[in-house]
Amino acid sequence: MTTDELGRDYEDGEVVFREGEEGNVMFVIQRGRVRVSRTTGEGEVTIATLGPGDVFGEMALFEREPRSATVTAMENSRILSIDKTRFFQNISRDPSMAFNLLRTLSERLRRIDKEFTRLKKRRLEILRSGMDLKETCRVILEEASDAVQAENGSVMVVNPDDGSLDIVAAYGTDTPEKARLTLGEGIAGNVLATGSAELINNVTVDPRFKPGTLSITSIICVPLSSETENFGVINLSHTSNDRLFSKVDLQFVKSLSVYASVAVRNAISLLRLKRATEFLDLGITSFPGAGEGDGV
Amino acid sequence: MIPAMRSSRGTKPDQGSTGDFRSLITTPDAGQKASLSLSDGSRIAVIGGGPAGSFFGYFTLMMAQMLGRDLDVTIFEPKDFLTPGPGSCNRCGGVISELMVQTLAVEGINIPSSVIQRGLSSYELYTELGDVSIETPTKEKTIASVYRGGGPQDLVISDKDSFDAFLLRRAVEKGARHCARYVDRIAFEEGKPVLFSGEERLMQADLVVGAFGVNTWKVPQFEGLPFRYHRPRMTRTAIAEIALDPDYITERYGNSVQLFLLPVKNVLFAAIIPKRSYVTLCILGKAINRSTVDVFLAHPKVRALFPEGRLDRLACMCLPMMNVGAPRRPYADRIVFIGDSGSTRLYKDGIGGAYFMAKSAVKTVIMNGVSRKDFAGNFMPDYRSIRVDNRFGRFLFWVTSMFRKFGFLNAAMLEVVDKEQADPSDGRKILSAILWDMFTGNERYRSIFFRAIAPELVIKMTWSAVRHFFGGSHDR
Repeated sequence: MTTDELGRDYEDGEVVFREGEEGNVMFVIQRGRVRVSRTTGEGEVTIATLGPGDVFGEMALFEREPRSATVTAMENSRILSIDKTRFFQNISRDPSMAFNLLRTLSERLRRIDKEFTRLKKRRLEILRSGMDLKETCRVILEEASDAVQAENGSVMVVNPDDGSLDIVAAYGTDTPEKARLTLGEGIAGNVLATGSAELINNVTVDPRFKPGTLSITSIICVPLSSETENFGVINLSHTSNDRLFSKVDLQFVKSLSVYASVAVRNAISLLRLKRATEFLDLGITSFPGAGEGDGV
Repeated sequence: MIPAMRSSRGTKPDQGSTGDFRSLITTPDAGQKASLSLSDGSRIAVIGGGPAGSFFGYFTLMMAQMLGRDLDVTIFEPKDFLTPGPGSCNRCGGVISELMVQTLAVEGINIPSSVIQRGLSSYELYTELGDVSIETPTKEKTIASVYRGGGPQDLVISDKDSFDAFLLRRAVEKGARHCARYVDRIAFEEGKPVLFSGEERLMQADLVVGAFGVNTWKVPQFEGLPFRYHRPRMTRTAIAEIALDPDYITERYGNSVQLFLLPVKNVLFAAIIPKRSYVTLCILGKAINRSTVDVFLAHPKVRALFPEGRLDRLACMCLPMMNVGAPRRPYADRIVFIGDSGSTRLYKDGIGGAYFMAKSAVKTVIMNGVSRKDFAGNFMPDYRSIRVDNRFGRFLFWVTSMFRKFGFLNAAMLEVVDKEQADPSDGRKILSAILWDMFTGNERYRSIFFRAIAPELVIKMTWSAVRHFFGGSHDR
């Protein structure tokens, strides 16, 4: 046990306070490091890591809002707490005591400003570069149908909002633009769920088949997947009785799906990133004066 | 008691009755008057590099930098605060209060573990009739015990730093110059003070800040000063270092400062502060001398805090003076006294007093100016507030001494505190909080005083005291 330190001991991984909690105390790190994080739709995001001499939790002193972030010790740390009432008593006696804190806050604001500008610039770069999801799927479909000479084809991708399987690119007469399947529904849904590619030449007798407007005779359905999840399918079909897919066709589409998966995955990530930065943009435009990009 | 400060309002130079300086003052001409504020390149001489001087240097430069002003600060301090023994030590018990620890942390000055001898979290109060333990409200270590110098005389090797050396370094990091010279004379030339060491002329300054202590600095001779600097009223204290095994200290003392309100002759108040491999004994009272220390250490309650058998020899001992009064007017044009050479908080938290007066002086010289008028209007109210507060402090210490003297009051206090401490709820623990704030220096005496006369507490105490007075042997 150390005898020559002030404050309280926090073990590695111990939470100092959680986002949403009420707080009346500000903290000053004496030793160690802490991680400041926020929960978002995409999981936990680290906003900053702080070290000795750094102050945190000061926002709770000035506003009666719950804690805006979670602070966790990243190693065995020693942290001193400062009570809100005491703090304000002292500031009212000697307002210059707040100078150091104001300087810290202004430094943080300046850093956030810089970070924000960087993100905004990056977002423009993203918008200008890279193919979007629709375009990626269209190219994949083109390649696949060229190789196996399918009459109809579609690429379906899981919608992150509701988990349904939506058509992103399609050609031929079979596939309506708005067709949607839920997980496990239909052949495509089933392939998505199991993750194994299928070649079916007697579609109509397959119990999973959902009849559409056209009579399908032969179908190839291959999942798009990463190591951890399946996130889409490539469908190729014939409507003429005299045309059936071969095992070689299936093998080819399966090989193509490996590269297609990577491309679609990247396109999805890009889409998410764009959305995230749009959200950022939205948040900031409601902030008066921020649009002019002036320093604080 | 000190007379009230009516003369501070006498800003018209030829009025008022404080006539003893009129022959010394040379009426400044209009040109000089206009320059009685600091500007780029102004030179400030700080005499004494203890906490008051270092705080002054640090915060002056901090504020000047924020305002984009370029000031030149030189701190004159011959000691290094690192050599063991009293020679390089600013003799004191070495407790940095909870309030001070937190205040400095907010100011961006975090006391490093290399300076902290022990982190403390509670007070153990010993009285003739029983003992009570008072914990920090947050249950975390918020009090630091430190050495003001290099540590006790017999200390051979230490990897520890002293608090005063640490603060002086912080001031130097901010841009102050440390000059290890002794200033013994200050003369005025063309309205500006000039510092001398012997016959050697050190510098001419736009402002001189007296930040020397009452023990280690010989007060420099001020020539042509428009007032006579009187040393503050002082009382003698005893400070002794007793070497103990670090594990024994951890086990026996824990994280507690030991406080004593015991009826030992001449002893008003005593404390034992655990350090790393020593404990520091501080005694306040009347006519303190070496034998007071021996008598006090022989008291059974004190004896019980040391290993059986032989009592470890005193590793270091001094009988420093402590500032308990204040000079009437601690300023003039281009001169201000802060820290112990000015006024400080009665009996305790000298570091807090140094911080408070240093900041007050900094704000005055940066935001206003360095004239007598500026100090009278801005620095003096703070200075006076400490003096007024010390009157409340004197009263509170007098009350405390009554507790020490009269058994029934002592018993009543123990009963109320015991009940409060045993109460698991977060309810109001008035007396515990009062004792905590009084001993730690967290609160001004004035606000402690007003809390102490709160009806709820008075009723509790009176009821308990009456029972003990008539019951005599009433069980606690």
